[in-house]
Amino acid sequence: MMNLWGPAMFFVTLGLIFTGYPVAFVLGGSALLFALAGHAFNHFDLFLLFAMPERTFGTMSNYTLLAVPFFIFMGTVLEKSKLAEQLLETIGALFGRFRGGLAVGVVIVGALLAAATGVVGASVTAMGLISLPVMLRNGYNKELSLGVIAASGTLGQIIPPSIVLIVLGDQMGVSVGDLFRAALVPGLVLTGLYAAYVFVLAFVDKDVAPALPMELRTTGVALLKQVILSLLPPLALIVVVLGSIFAGVATPTEAGALGAVGAMVLAAMNRQLTFRTLKAAMEETSRLTIMVVFLLIGSTAFALVFRGFDGDIWIETVLTGIPGGALGYLIVVNLMVFILGFFIDFFEIAFIIVPLIVPPAIILGVDLTALGILLAVNLQTSFLTPPFGFSLFYLRGVTPRDIETTSIYKGVIPFIAIQMVVLAVLGWIALPTV
Amino acid sequence: MHHLRMLILRKLSAAIDGLNDMIGVTIRWLTLIMVLIGATGAVLRYYSRGLGLSMNLTPFVELQWYAFSVIFLLGAAYGLNKDVHVRVDVMFSRYSDKTRAMIDLVGTALFLAPFCILMLYVSFPAVSSSWSVREMSPDPGGLPRYHIKALILVSFGLLLMQAVSHIIKQVDIMRGTGSPPDEMAHVPMPEVDGVAGDTVTGRGDA
Repeated sequence: MMNLWGPAMFFVTLGLIFTGYPVAFVLGGSALLFALAGHAFNHFDLFLLFAMPERTFGTMSNYTLLAVPFFIFMGTVLEKSKLAEQLLETIGALFGRFRGGLAVGVVIVGALLAAATGVVGASVTAMGLISLPVMLRNGYNKELSLGVIAASGTLGQIIPPSIVLIVLGDQMGVSVGDLFRAALVPGLVLTGLYAAYVFVLAFVDKDVAPALPMELRTTGVALLKQVILSLLPPLALIVVVLGSIFAGVATPTEAGALGAVGAMVLAAMNRQLTFRTLKAAMEETSRLTIMVVFLLIGSTAFALVFRGFDGDIWIETVLTGIPGGALGYLIVVNLMVFILGFFIDFFEIAFIIVPLIVPPAIILGVDLTALGILLAVNLQTSFLTPPFGFSLFYLRGVTPRDIETTSIYKGVIPFIAIQMVVLAVLGWIALPTV
Repeated sequence: MHHLRMLILRKLSAAIDGLNDMIGVTIRWLTLIMVLIGATGAVLRYYSRGLGLSMNLTPFVELQWYAFSVIFLLGAAYGLNKDVHVRVDVMFSRYSDKTRAMIDLVGTALFLAPFCILMLYVSFPAVSSSWSVREMSPDPGGLPRYHIKALILVSFGLLLMQAVSHIIKQVDIMRGTGSPPDEMAHVPMPEVDGVAGDTVTGRGDA
């Protein structure tokens, strides 16, 4: 007989999350209530709940998760040290002389910031404040300017050291180093395709993204000095952090700690390592740590009770029974994650949904690293898609009121199309070879 | 009489908030300490391997995750007070202050407080047995374990206290006698210089 407790718990809890009460506590509380109800109907052994302290302790001593606060710390220090602003100005000066150059500069800065910080909101905000006015003043098409900023801001989700990949690696039981390595090419391909799109557009229509006029270009020694001062330090940091991981010299957690120290050094060189910067980085890091870990503890309680009801077996039966096998599984799972990504944050998806979809993937022979990359690009696309995408909110928050929200929506459509193409290719790669 | 009771409750709520805020601003220093320990450990491991030395780096690794654990265990209640715990606010951000207060009141009474009590109840045996044997890390050169395990009880104890304070404040808001929480907590408007805690927790209407 079909056990309905699992499905009931899944859908009721999902519904409760939408009340807006903090997700971590909805998960924990709902787990307890369902456990008590299940116990009353002789369907659940309350003794299972005594596994919670051991699970909590497992989270406390989780070495992989330690990398998350390290990279957040690094990202916040870099953000507060005006790194984004300087990068934008320099790259703008380098590329502004070409048609579409300012927009390509935004793409490149988005990718660099992603690699340097791994945090999303900061780059969209900085680019929206600095690049948008410059592009609009120079006669850039409004939709293109908005779209390129919103899209480039999401590159931090996929380009290592992305926090998304760290958490996915932890939840999927895949090495974070492997995920970083596997994410590098898709991340660079996306960056390249964004830039190519802008260049082609600027080439076809010379009014859409004109070159900077002569008098606004920086040249010669001044330009060189600017490049060395603002481009090289973050590049060095990226090389050290990613290089040490890829060379196998440091674990992602160690690289995160070193990166955080490196960020403080860069900030000090920029004369931006003030007590205020440090306090903001510490506060931000502890807030995010608290939020993420308690979400994980709530999810653990949910998973424990859900499994007690054989909910994991229910999910497995459903997901392995989809017509088309691995292909059907990938389509359904990705659609689910894409739609959930509109409403709930990445962390909830990683902690609640991802552990449930991994066992069916193993049964169907889907490569877990490839699946992780696919999910990361999928979520990145979801954050870019109107009307709920994350990135769009950030951009909306820093654009002047006279720019309609629909212009942002129109602007991101070509980039969503690029995402879809890359997603399809990644999905094809994730399929087991027969 | 009724007025006096509310006044006492408000004082209690303010005292709990004060305690947890104090803890919150103290533990944030641990993030910096954690970074420094982590970086030192990484450098030591690299050089000790390169020089063929055998150094026991277990304390470095363990100190890192001890600091990590203290941050979220002791900071959870502070996080509740500062509305740090992520919400799905597609609809929440559109509600009035009173509706929000009602959701928070019911959620705290129905989900958070019982969950804290559950965690205290199921963790107590494990913590007390760890404490009675003065449990140590199983790894050679490792640190004592029993203090950090006991923090699980402290964490949910503080969280339960903060839940009580939270309920008092929501009742005040619903009666129209208290001030609604800081608006910015629910609005995703990114500030240029603001705390980027909103990068992950903030979400709202377009």
